[in-house]
Formats: sequence, C-alpha cells, structure tokens
Amino acid sequence: MRESERGHAAKIRQERWAFGLIRALSGATIIILAAIVGFILWRGLRYSNETRSPYLPYAERSPEGVAILVNGGLRLEELDFEQLLGIYSDEYINWAKICADATDLLPLALEPGAPGAGSAEALVFGQAPAWGALVEFSPTPEALLERLASTPGSIAILPEPALAGLKPEARRIGLRRLVVAMNPEAAELVNERSVEEISLGDLAGLLRGSPASWAALGGPELPVRPLAPESRGPLAAALEAAGLEAPLPAGGTPAEDSGQDTCAAIASTPGAVGFAFARDALGAGLPLLRLRGRETGWNLKLRYLLEEPRLSGRAGGISTIILNTLSMLLLTVGIAGPVGVAAAIYLVEYARQGPLLRLLRLGTETLAGIPSIIFGLFGMLVFVDLLGFGFGLLSGCLTLSLMILPTIVRSSEEALKTVSPALREGSLALGATKLQTVFRVVVPAASPGILTGLLLAVGRAVGETAALLFTMGSDYKLAKGLFSSSRALSTHIYLLFAEGISFDRAFSTATVLIAVVLAFNLAAKRLVGRMSRNAAR
Amino acid sequence: MPPAVKISVRDLDLWYGSVQALRKVGADIASRSITALIGPSGCGKSTFLRTLNRMNDLIEGVRVEGVVEYEGSSIFAPGADVIELRKRIGMVFQKPNPFPMSVYDNVAYGPRIHGSPSRRAADRRALDEIVERSLEQAALLEEVKDRLHKPALGLSGGQQQRLCIARVLAVEPDVLLMDEPTSALDPISTSKIENLLEELKKRYTIVIVTHNMQQAGRVSDAVGFFLHGELVEYAPTKEVFFNPKDKRTEAYISGRFG
Repeated sequence: MRESERGHAAKIRQERWAFGLIRALSGATIIILAAIVGFILWRGLRYSNETRSPYLPYAERSPEGVAILVNGGLRLEELDFEQLLGIYSDEYINWAKICADATDLLPLALEPGAPGAGSAEALVFGQAPAWGALVEFSPTPEALLERLASTPGSIAILPEPALAGLKPEARRIGLRRLVVAMNPEAAELVNERSVEEISLGDLAGLLRGSPASWAALGGPELPVRPLAPESRGPLAAALEAAGLEAPLPAGGTPAEDSGQDTCAAIASTPGAVGFAFARDALGAGLPLLRLRGRETGWNLKLRYLLEEPRLSGRAGGISTIILNTLSMLLLTVGIAGPVGVAAAIYLVEYARQGPLLRLLRLGTETLAGIPSIIFGLFGMLVFVDLLGFGFGLLSGCLTLSLMILPTIVRSSEEALKTVSPALREGSLALGATKLQTVFRVVVPAASPGILTGLLLAVGRAVGETAALLFTMGSDYKLAKGLFSSSRALSTHIYLLFAEGISFDRAFSTATVLIAVVLAFNLAAKRLVGRMSRNAAR
Repeated sequence: MPPAVKISVRDLDLWYGSVQALRKVGADIASRSITALIGPSGCGKSTFLRTLNRMNDLIEGVRVEGVVEYEGSSIFAPGADVIELRKRIGMVFQKPNPFPMSVYDNVAYGPRIHGSPSRRAADRRALDEIVERSLEQAALLEEVKDRLHKPALGLSGGQQQRLCIARVLAVEPDVLLMDEPTSALDPISTSKIENLLEELKKRYTIVIVTHNMQQAGRVSDAVGFFLHGELVEYAPTKEVFFNPKDKRTEAYISGRFG
C-alpha cells in the first residue's frame, strides 16, 4: 500500500518536472522568435547611428547674414563648412559625394564687386578669397536667382538684404560651421596616441575644465584651459543662437572677438580648447576635436516605399523593387501553380499506386530539400545560358518555379487526399465521369488546401535570394518585360549588405519583406480556417 | 398480375481479390416496389447493392461472374454504358455526402453534368424547375427554399440525406439504391425518410439495405436475407417475417444472432 503511494508521488513529481521543462522550452522558443522579429522590425523602423564629425550638430539658417540656397530639385537639407568651401573652390563637380544625388553641381555667387557680395565671400573664404573656376557670377540677385531656379543642381550664396522683396524658387539650407578647436600642444602624440575625439556628452564638461588635465583624455600632461569668446562678436552670437553654453572665460580672452581672435588665443595658449568657426580654425591650422554623437530617427518612411531607388539603392526608395517582386511572384505562381496542381491531381487521382509513384514522391521530397543556390546554378546554366533567356524576370521565375514546385505538389496532394472518398462516390454514382468528378467536386473541395499550399510556396519564393542572384539580374529599375533584368526585395537586401551600401536601408527593406511574408502567411491561415469550417460536419 | 421485373440477377459471384463476397446470388427485383436487404454486418448485402450500378468497379481487385440484367440487358455486356447505367440507377449512401457547395448547386449537379453547359435563360429556368421539383419530391423544399444558395453542409444530417436523395432524383433515375440511408440519422429524420420512401415507391423501384428490422418490416414489399455472401431467403416481406422458410432467417429475425 505504502509502496504504491510512494510510486504515485514519484509519478506526480515526474509529471511536474516534465511539464516545467516543456513550459520552459516553449517559453524560450517564443522569446527567441520575438527577439529576432522584434530586432529586425526595430532596426528597420528606427535608425540610431554613431556620428563622428568635427562639426556640432547645429545648422545655422543665416550664418553672418548670408543665405545659402539650392535648386528646389536637390535633396539636401544642410551642408558643413568644408563642403561649402569645397563647392566654391572646385573640389566637387557633382553632388554624389555630398548627398545622394548624382546631379552636376553649379556654384553661383554675386560678382565680387556687387553690393553686399563681400559678406558671402567672407563667410566662405574669410580674408583671402579664392573663388574656384567653376563658380558662375551674376551681376544682380535677380539674375542669380533666375539662374538658380532654372539650373538643376545649382547652389547660391548671397547676402540676406539682397533677397529682400524677392520670392526665390529655391530652398534655403542650413550650414554647420561650429567646431571645437584645441591648442596644438594638447593634440601632441603621447605613446603614439593623441586626443582626437570626445563624446558630445563629455564636451560640456571639458569646456568647463573637467577633466582638469589633457592626460585624462590620453593627451599630454597639460591643464585644460577652456576659452570663450567675448560676448558681442559673431561667434558668441552664433553660440547663443545654437543654445550652447559658452565656456567659462579664463585668462587671455580677447576683448573684441571676430572669431579669429578666439582661434589666435587658442593657438597661443597651451592646453586651450574652445568653440570656433571652422573657417577660422582651419585657417589657423588648429586641430579639431572630433565629436562623437548619436543620431536617431525614423528609418522606414512612406517615402521609402513610394520612391524609385537611385544610386544603387543608396538613395530613393524601393517602389520599383516592390513592383518587380510582385510581378515576379505573379509570374512564378502562374508557372508553378498550374503545373504543380496538375501533377498533384495526376498523382492522387489517376496514377497507379506502385513503386514508380513512390520513387516519384521520394524525388519530389528530395527536390524540396535541395538548397536554393543549387537551383540558382541550374537556372543560370539552363535558362540563362542554354536556352538563352539571359538574366531577367523569366529566367528568375522559371528557377523559382522549379524550386517551389515540390512544395506545391506535396501540399496539393495532401489537400486532394483529404477530400472524402464519399464525395467522389457520390459524384460517380450520379453518372459523372472521372474528369467531371475531379474538376467539379474534388478540386473545388480541395481548393482551400491547394491555395494554402500555393500561398506558403509564394512565401518561400518571396524570401528567396540565392536562386535569383544568378538568374534574375539586379537592375533596380522597373522591369520592362520578361527578359529585363530586375531586382527583388530579397536580392536588394543582399546587395545593400554585400556592397556595404547601407545597413539601415537593408533593414528597412527587410521590414517590408517580413511584412509581405507575414501577409501571405496570414492569408494562408485564414484559408485554412475556412477549409476546416467547410469540412466540419 | 405479377409486377414487372426491373432487375434480374442470376448466379452472381463476386470476389474481392481472393475473398469471395457473394455466392450464387439470384433475385428478381420487382418494378415500383421497395426491396429491403437485411443481414448481419459483412454478409454481402451492400456489396450486392453496389454491384447493381457497378459502383464496385471503382474498387481495385474486384471480379464479378454471373448475370445482372437491367430491363432485360446485361449491365456487364462489353458495350454497356456505365454512365448511362448510373444515371438510370441512382444511389444514396449510408452517410450523407452533399458536395461542399450550395443546396441549389448540389441538386443541379447531375442535370448540369449530363446536360449542355449552356447558360441561356430558358435553360436556367428549366434547371430551376428541376431543382425545385427534386427538392419537393425529397420533401425538403419547404425547409430549404429560403436557403437554396447557402452551403449544403450547413443543413442537419437528416436534411443532408434528403438533399442527397433530391440530388439523385434530379437526374430522373428509374431505380434508387439506398445503402443504410437512415443509419446515421436520428429517429425523427428516419421517419421522415421512411415516409418519403412510401411516396417515392409510386414512381421508382427502390432497393434498400438496412440493419433495422422494424424499418424493413415497415417499408418494404419484399425482403432479401443475406448471410455469408449467400441470399438465404428472398420473398415478400410478410412471408419472410411471419413464415420464414429457412431456419437461419428465423433465427436472425427473432434476434438470436446478428
């Protein structure tokens, strides 16, 4: 009696352990899944990148009373000072290196003698103007604005007073020119290292004198001496507009500060550090502290879905790629669907069950397990080369069709097998032929299952990369025909990663792809639900 | 005047592979009457029924010997049209098997596959009439006339079975074979179908397999008792029930086995 009670207790304990283990494992699976999908969605929706730049993240709309305007077609919000300097001294001939736009660049300015032209000149060059040969001068602000409006990729600098009363058909952009300059002695090499960068968070501390010595930042044993401009000059005004706390004044601060004076003070004071205009700091040859910050924002915008990709996907959106993917799916299902369903009908309804059929089933199952890259190689050799279809939609879709065919055959077979034999008998007993029975009763009854299989296969096709790489090409423009090379979402993700174009964009595209796959799976689930409701007696 | 013979069976042997399921069965089935086939499970009565419209052809490894004549011509003759045969000899199964489509489409299925697929208005009206008449004959029209275009699978079991009967009637058969049509139904549905049989008998020849002795007694004009593939006794119902010639029949009917 007691023996059996003990056995019973042990069983209960065992049960509990097993139950706990199963719960823990299933919980872990769910957590892992949620983590993966959550991470990809998060990375796809938001970006958060470390930035390293000597420029403070603050763009002035009207630096020293000068407006910077660009042609309305240019996608550009702001420039930093070195870019502006480069534009006006022939360093760039198009916009590709500055923003994601390959338009030719045309710098415009007022003629040096024109009224007010000096302030623009001073903004860019300071005391020593050195206009590039590409710069086009206009005699009047009106002429300049007209040229600006009519020339894509043009940029103009002109003093604000000249703009008064005019309605320019151009966009005004901001200029980032505030930097943190340091005394050259503070940037000297110590143990083959030097102070180069600081996080934006630590900057305020540094400018208040903490840490007290450059050694704390990996520099020489030199006291940190923050310098600030006197309150009336343009630098002080710019800092105030930016809402930046000016560092505490320390010895040797110049009385009248044009910005250049601060730089001179920094250059002559050992261990000094302070805000400066890039123009002056570069002119004085001062080392600049690089600022480490973090930039966050929405990654996946509606614009990304609606715009065409440009510059290998570096810019623009993915609209044509989405359309290419959809036409790829339609074509693939159009090829593989009828063939696969017909094969399944033959296997279930007509073929004699025997060794040959078993071999065929084994073959389909094996085919379903073959890695897609092999289908890709096959597709390249046969469709692209041998049949001469070239890299294009047709080759890619034929390859994909081959790849998903086994899945479609298997799932359609299962769907057809679940149709009750009673239905077949009922139809045949009414004098229907085999063909009528199959197409009027069996296939309609199995259609939800067949459709489910098709949708799952499509879900597999939409995520396929390897089979497409060698067969469908990678042109991101809208496919113009069956033989036109085109890029699918999955290939786009791969290329964005592989060519190092943009992780953010790759993740955005991945989010879209996941949404597409999810949509297909949900549709499949609904169909399964409908099927089981119909089958319920 | 003796009733005309609709189906005549002589010396019918049937094998499933090497297993013999019917042995030297012989019977004449009278026109416009109800013939009930009774017997314990596995005795061959369903097999016999399915031989009459050649539904056994669908099973692999079936071999038939003997004579089955429908209106005087052999149904196994080389030139016999099995489609036409099944059209003339309709069948209702044990479990209701409506197609997963609407009530209307279920009944219209037969006429559609046999007629021309034309969609002319006149044809559509003719089809409407056939559907309505068939449902009426199957005593189902009143219950489903408001839901003709709803899924047939939404009907109750009894309604589904009567729908299956209507589906068979729509192809205007001559003979109705029923394989335990009420075994899956509740008593009320069963009595509805039994009443229906009384009506249908006026126009059709009916052969019904049943496990229910009372049912056989209530509805049939003649009874055939099967045992181990043999037709032990085949006679008018009253004689079989009240004056069986064979001891085994008596034993079965009085409930001593089966």
